[in-house]
Amino acid sequence: MTYGHIGELAELYALGALDERERTAIETHLDTCEPCTRLVGSAEGNVALMASLEPRRESPPDLNRRVDSALHAQHRAWRFPAAIAAALVIGFAPSLYLWGQERAMHRAMYATDAAMARLASAPHRTATFGATAGGPAAQVMYAPDGSWYVVVVRNATKALDVVWMHDGQRTMLGSASPIGDVSALYLPKSHRMDTLALVDGDRVVAQATLNWQKTAPTRRGDRSG
Amino acid sequence: MGSDEALAAGFAAHERWAFGEAYRRYASLLYSAAYNVLGNADDAKDSVGDAIARLWRSPRPYSTARGDLRSFLVVCVRNDAISRLRRRTRRLRVEERLASITPERDDPHLPDPIERDRVRHALQTLPAEQRVPLELAYYEGKTHAEIAAELREPLGTVKSRIRHGLQKLASTLRAISGAERDRV
Repeated sequence: MTYGHIGELAELYALGALDERERTAIETHLDTCEPCTRLVGSAEGNVALMASLEPRRESPPDLNRRVDSALHAQHRAWRFPAAIAAALVIGFAPSLYLWGQERAMHRAMYATDAAMARLASAPHRTATFGATAGGPAAQVMYAPDGSWYVVVVRNATKALDVVWMHDGQRTMLGSASPIGDVSALYLPKSHRMDTLALVDGDRVVAQATLNWQKTAPTRRGDRSG
Repeated sequence: MGSDEALAAGFAAHERWAFGEAYRRYASLLYSAAYNVLGNADDAKDSVGDAIARLWRSPRPYSTARGDLRSFLVVCVRNDAISRLRRRTRRLRVEERLASITPERDDPHLPDPIERDRVRHALQTLPAEQRVPLELAYYEGKTHAEIAAELREPLGTVKSRIRHGLQKLASTLRAISGAERDRV
């Protein structure tokens, strides 16, 4: 798969005929591409039809209890606005305060409900984007297990695409659009990405290397990149 | 809004009731899908349990643009099961695994033998060049790269044959299902 669409990989994804990295790249792409989501949905329908005509067994009672327990024990994952606000508090609050952002941004930064407090204390790491001349100043904060990322661009004047660079390819993750002069993009994921880039049109304007080495993360975050 | 649509919308909105109802509604299908890949109950239970828990932890696992929720869940569970299968050092040949999943005759919840054989009969209608790579992917959980290497065919050719084979097979299965419904 390239920066574009997934094409005939839809059937391979639905059949489970991709390796883990290819599967992850598809799932990442589907987060932002509705046409490909429909394509995969159609292929999933064909595979599910095959599966539905195969030998059927009743699900065991202990599995039913296990699923029920999982649905009640685990809280839902990160919520978009809360996670962005929490990440801003964690990594950028002092600087942002000085930058004089809009009042709404300040209110978001200093909201202090219980959920915010929990999110703000979450272990995280930070990597700085190395920018080309005239490129943006940007950082990415991310969970040590790769379960979420927040890309923040300072002095942003326009939307930039955030892409995952891997295997000589670019997988589109989403666009960071300015609010005031800061852009932020929250990316809930389930995998680790080594290299992220900011793209303006087709041009990479900044790139960050993320550190997945085992070190104890701090509340303020480890630095890398 | 019909009940399927309401369930899909609730699932897309990450509502707990929808996750619970979707599991209850499709539990047998999901467990069977995992069992038919892995061939034993313990692994199948782990696969379904972990797949559902992972979806619940994910912020946006499903959108209604994806289409049928049941199909989405089946593929999620199958993909998890296939990952487990690949991790296992012990690999069963496809014939052994198919034999191992032959159900016990006194199980009242199982489909009749004709129904059980429909997929394999339908597969036989495909040309070998499409059937073989499709079987290697579906029954043995091999990647397209492994299939291309095993068959000594170019990767692009294998991708294309799997794609067309799956589409043709699904069309055949739908026609069979439709004809059977018409006879009833």
